[in-house]
Amino acid sequence: MIETPGYLPTEALFPIVVDAMFTKNFLLVMFLGLCSYVGLTTSSETSKGMSMAVTFVMTMSAILTWPIFYYLLKPNKLMFLQTICFILVIASFVQLVEFIIHRYSPALYRSLGIYLPLISTNCAVLGVVLLNVKEDFTYGASIVYAFSAGLGYSWVMLATAAIREKLIMRGVDRFSGFIGAFFAAMMMALIVVSYFGVVKL
Amino acid sequence: MIPETMQLLPPAVIVLGGIGFAMGAMLVWAAKQFYVETNPLVDALLELMPGANCGACGFAGCAECAEHIVAGDVAPDVCTSCDAETFAMIGELLGMEIAAKEPQYPVVLCQGGVNCKDRYDYIGAQTCKAAILLAGTKKACAYGCIGLGDCVRACQFDAIEIAENGLPKIKKYNCKGCGSCVRACPQQVLTLAKEHGPVYVVCSSHDKGKYVKEVCEFGCIGCGICKKNCPEGAIKLDKALAVIDQERCTRCGTCVEVCPRNAIVKL
Amino acid sequence: MAEKSFVGEIVRGIIKDNPVFVLVLGLCPTLAVTTSFANGLGMSLAFAFVLLGSNFFVSLIRKSIPSGVRIPIFLLIICTFVTMVDMLLEAYLPPMYEALGIFVPLIVVNCIVIGRAEAYANRNSVIFSIADAIGISIGYLLVLLLIGSIRELFGTGKIQFVMLMAKGGVPGFYPIGEVSIPIEPATVMITPAGAFFTIATLMLLIKIIGDRKRMMQLKKEGVEL
Repeated sequence: MIETPGYLPTEALFPIVVDAMFTKNFLLVMFLGLCSYVGLTTSSETSKGMSMAVTFVMTMSAILTWPIFYYLLKPNKLMFLQTICFILVIASFVQLVEFIIHRYSPALYRSLGIYLPLISTNCAVLGVVLLNVKEDFTYGASIVYAFSAGLGYSWVMLATAAIREKLIMRGVDRFSGFIGAFFAAMMMALIVVSYFGVVKL
Repeated sequence: MIPETMQLLPPAVIVLGGIGFAMGAMLVWAAKQFYVETNPLVDALLELMPGANCGACGFAGCAECAEHIVAGDVAPDVCTSCDAETFAMIGELLGMEIAAKEPQYPVVLCQGGVNCKDRYDYIGAQTCKAAILLAGTKKACAYGCIGLGDCVRACQFDAIEIAENGLPKIKKYNCKGCGSCVRACPQQVLTLAKEHGPVYVVCSSHDKGKYVKEVCEFGCIGCGICKKNCPEGAIKLDKALAVIDQERCTRCGTCVEVCPRNAIVKL
Repeated sequence: MAEKSFVGEIVRGIIKDNPVFVLVLGLCPTLAVTTSFANGLGMSLAFAFVLLGSNFFVSLIRKSIPSGVRIPIFLLIICTFVTMVDMLLEAYLPPMYEALGIFVPLIVVNCIVIGRAEAYANRNSVIFSIADAIGISIGYLLVLLLIGSIRELFGTGKIQFVMLMAKGGVPGFYPIGEVSIPIEPATVMITPAGAFFTIATLMLLIKIIGDRKRMMQLKKEGVEL
């Protein structure tokens, strides 16, 4: 009999959503996906594109990898293969999506398509998938978690882009590059962490 | 080898190999299924082009321009960012003769900058567009250059900078004449002109002469001396601002000498 | 092309091509695990293992990798080493394994490892790839130890220096010393906000020093500023 995580009541989904979006925000608290964060938040156009692409890939990766882990790897005691299998699946899926978008919507490809190869090796996407397995979520819960993680990533990206655009408008000085991005992230991390009371300051 | 490890080997190989094979097969199928026809000529042309996506050609980007060039809709010389060498290579690729258009450079039709008084100290977002929103421009002259650098930010070739006198300075060796700065200026004091020869009134102010005298050292006061002295009659007065008709102008330079404010310049 | 030397490549990896402060890659584990000196040390050792292995193997087979599929092949090679170090840590150093959490498997998508495989090991000989790996690993180690020490010092008032050794046949990270300063610890340094603050301040300092050096050099050359 194939064992999968048990039933999760719907009320328990709310803490999962809030966790993914705020208290355990992927960018600010779990520190996943930072490389693309500092690179792409210089303008709100790129941030919008990247956030949409990341949310989409995270959700689809959760949908694809959960059955592979619980139906293929765990019954055969091959948990150690999870990293390589997840990476293979995510990278192939992203490549497939890139083909489809390139063929059917050149406009979407021009705005979103260039971020897709960046996402296949993004810590955030692999992080979501690995955490789904670690936290032993049910299928539905893991999809909800992945989607909320994408939303959490998006709001931080968009907020930082807004701040950095204003910093750049002041002129090119020390704070319009990475340094400004990190100070902005620091303030947002303070807000998220202290408002939700994770750590008493 | 430990027996437990040996037991895991076949399922590991099968599962990993299976997934890898399945993904690989799927991608091979997808690559064929969703193949996008690209004209190799367009790709080759795109390689030669500067790739700055400046918009001077009127298309949304170099990729679109390349497609239209190959389709024959436009001539390649619509790309102002290409120099003679690039045109030679493009000509070779496409099998046609291309002559570069005479280079054009932006001209600032304003001599204000630090010479023009400020109405107030502006501490807002340091962009020209934002400065205009606040009760008219921060400069006493409502038509002049604000000097906060929207043009500098629009330039992709690092060919323009704000000099010490508060006015944009063009670095001709980098400038490709694409016109991004001209489009970016909210006061529209930038215009493209050929490098040598044309005579321009470097002032855009339509304010009355008395007011201009108060606020700016070099502004045009609309006195009309240039108009009277022009042998071709190529100068008109448009609401206290002299305008030179470039078609009729013979570049004689008389107006340059007679202007009491030094507001006319021959490039 | 300047002559490359083994030691030169190592030094380059530490200073000129420092992965965190110059290349600005691999930020995720840098900020996440540097809550203490010990965690920083553990992470950089795991990272060094993977980088050395991956650089070595990729440069070994670089001539026979078809260009179109090179990223998946790099990922495969890197993943092998990552799974190895993951299992090693879980078996022999469980407390460090718990502390590092998911960041050990995440080394496989660490921008530095893939970046070096693509940009260096794919084009250079085995010897220089190993040198590069050693240099980058030392650079990364120094950065992690620096940030970890700062955060631990101001976050808990003391730094616990540890070293990987085997006491009584049991391998582990054993404390070898301690430095403490008499201040009221600011727990915020252990939190994510503290991580961003530390790295932002360090980058700012490096930038200021770098700018000043460049100004002095330009003044020496008599360039008009």
